[in-house]
Amino acid sequence: MARSVRGGGRLDTGLVVACVALAVVALIMPQRNRDMVATALRRTVLSPLVALQNRAASVHAAIDGRHDVLVARGVAATQAIAAPGIADENATLRRLLGLASRLQDGFVAAEIVPTRDVDTDFTLTLNVGTSAGVMPFSPVVTADGLVGMVRDADAQSSFAITWAHPDFAVSAMSVNESAFGIVKPHLGTGAERWLLELRGVPFRAKLDTGTLIVSSGLGATYPRGIHIGTVLGEVATPEKWARTYLVKPSVLPAAIGPVLVLLPSRAARGVNGVWATLTSADSAARAVAAAGDSLARTAALDELAARRAALDSAVADSVARDTSALLVPVTRADSARADSVRRSRRPRSDSVRTLTVPPAAPVRVGPPPAGDA
Amino acid sequence: MRKPPVSSSAGSALRAWIGFALLVAAHFGVRPLVSGRVNVDFLVIAILFAAVRIRPGLAAVVGFAAGLAVDALAPGTFGAATLVMTGIAFGASWTKAVFFADHVALTGLFVFLGKWLFDIGYVVVGGSVHGVELVVLLLLWSTLSAALTAVVAIVLLTVFRPLYRPPTV
Repeated sequence: MARSVRGGGRLDTGLVVACVALAVVALIMPQRNRDMVATALRRTVLSPLVALQNRAASVHAAIDGRHDVLVARGVAATQAIAAPGIADENATLRRLLGLASRLQDGFVAAEIVPTRDVDTDFTLTLNVGTSAGVMPFSPVVTADGLVGMVRDADAQSSFAITWAHPDFAVSAMSVNESAFGIVKPHLGTGAERWLLELRGVPFRAKLDTGTLIVSSGLGATYPRGIHIGTVLGEVATPEKWARTYLVKPSVLPAAIGPVLVLLPSRAARGVNGVWATLTSADSAARAVAAAGDSLARTAALDELAARRAALDSAVADSVARDTSALLVPVTRADSARADSVRRSRRPRSDSVRTLTVPPAAPVRVGPPPAGDA
Repeated sequence: MRKPPVSSSAGSALRAWIGFALLVAAHFGVRPLVSGRVNVDFLVIAILFAAVRIRPGLAAVVGFAAGLAVDALAPGTFGAATLVMTGIAFGASWTKAVFFADHVALTGLFVFLGKWLFDIGYVVVGGSVHGVELVVLLLLWSTLSAALTAVVAIVLLTVFRPLYRPPTV
C-alpha cells in the first residue's frame, strides 16, 4: 500500500514536471514556432471552440447593433438624436463607410472578438479569416488610419498585432515626403506606452509638431499613404546622425472598433488618395449622411427636375420657333424637351448653353460644283 | 441491496466531466457575450472544480491542456496561460482537502484565490504590462474579476449541485 502511494506520488510529480517543462518550452520557443503550434491547435482539436467563440462574438456584435438601433430609436423619439455617444458612434461608422466607399473593393470588414484585453498583449482577434481572403501580413485599418497587421489567419478568424505591439514596425514618411524613417511603438511607461516613435530620420530632415506621418509603401506589407499619426516632438537620443520623433497615433486604442482588413490584392494596388485629406473624408461622411435622407432628397430633386423641365421646354419651344424660320433642320421640340428633362435630373450650370443652336449652313440650290464629285 | 461502488463512482466521474465540458463551452461561448474589463473566467472554475476530484498529476495535465487552449486562441503570450494553469490545477488538487469541507464560502474563497493567482501569474509571465498599469490591473481589475468569478462559482455550485458537488471521503 505504501509502495502504491509512493508510486502514485512519483507519477504525479513526473506529470507536473513534464507539463511545466512543456509549458516553459512553449513560452521560450521562437515566435514562428509558437504561431505554428497555435495554428495547428486551432485548426484541429480547438476548431469547435474557435467556431463557438466566433459565433458568440457575432452574436455579441448583433446584440450590440440591435441595442444601438433601439437606443437610437428611443433617443430619436426624445429629441436626443445628437447625444454625444451615438453621434460619435455614427460618426465612426460613417467614416468607416466613407473609407469603404473610397477603397471600393479589396477589403473585408471585421469585428473584434473580445478575448484578452488589448491592453495586455496588444493583439486583436478578428472574426474573419482565410475564407474571406484574409492572409498574414494584411494591413488592418480604420477610417482614422493604421491599426496594425494580421499576423496569423485561420479559416474563420485571424490574429492581428496592433501598432503598440513590440514587434510592430512600418516604414513611414512625412506627408510632404521630406523625411523618411521607421515607426515603432514607443516602449515607455504609463500613458507614453500608447505613443509611437519615428526613428532613423536623417538629421537634415526636421519635422514640425503636428506634421502628419503616413506609411511610405516601402516594404511589402503596408501600402503608401495610410495615416499613422502626427508628430508631437523630437526625442533626444544618443544617435547624432539621425533624429527620432515622438508620434501621436491616428488610431487611439479606445477608438478601435470595427476595422477593415486590406486584402493582398488591394494592398498591392496601393491606397493613394484614400486617406488623402480630411476634406474628402468629411465630404464622404456627408454623402453617406445625406443618403439617409434619400426620400426627402428624392422628392426635392423630383420637384426641382419638374420645374427645370418646364422651364427648358419653354425655352426649347421658343428656340424651335426661331430656327424654323431659318428653314434649317433642327432638333425637334419633343426631343429637346426630353433632353432637357434628362439634363435637369443632373443639374448643370451650363444648361442654357446646351440649347444654343449652331449657325445654319446656307441652303444650296442647283447642281453641285465640279469639285464635290 | 447496495449498488456496486464502481458504477456509483463512474456516474460521479461522468457528471463531473459533463460539468467540466459545460464550463469550457461557457468560457468560449458565453464569456464573449458579456466581455468587459471585469470578466468571469469559466475555465478557471472548470479547472478548480475538476482538480479537486482527480490526482495532482492528472490535474496538472488538465490544467496544461486548458492553458494551451487559451494560449492558442490568444497567441500574444503563448505559453503563459499553459504554465500558470498547470500550476493552478496542480496546486488546487494538492490542496483538495480544503474542499472536503464542502463549505460554500470556502469554495468561493478558493476560486477567488485561484483566479487571482492565475491573473497575477499570467500577467507576470506574459511580461507585457509594467508599472502603474500592472498595479491597477492586478489590484483592481483582476481582483474584481476574481470576485465575480467566485460569485459565479458559488451560484453554479448551489444551482447545479449534482454536477459540481465536491467528492466526499
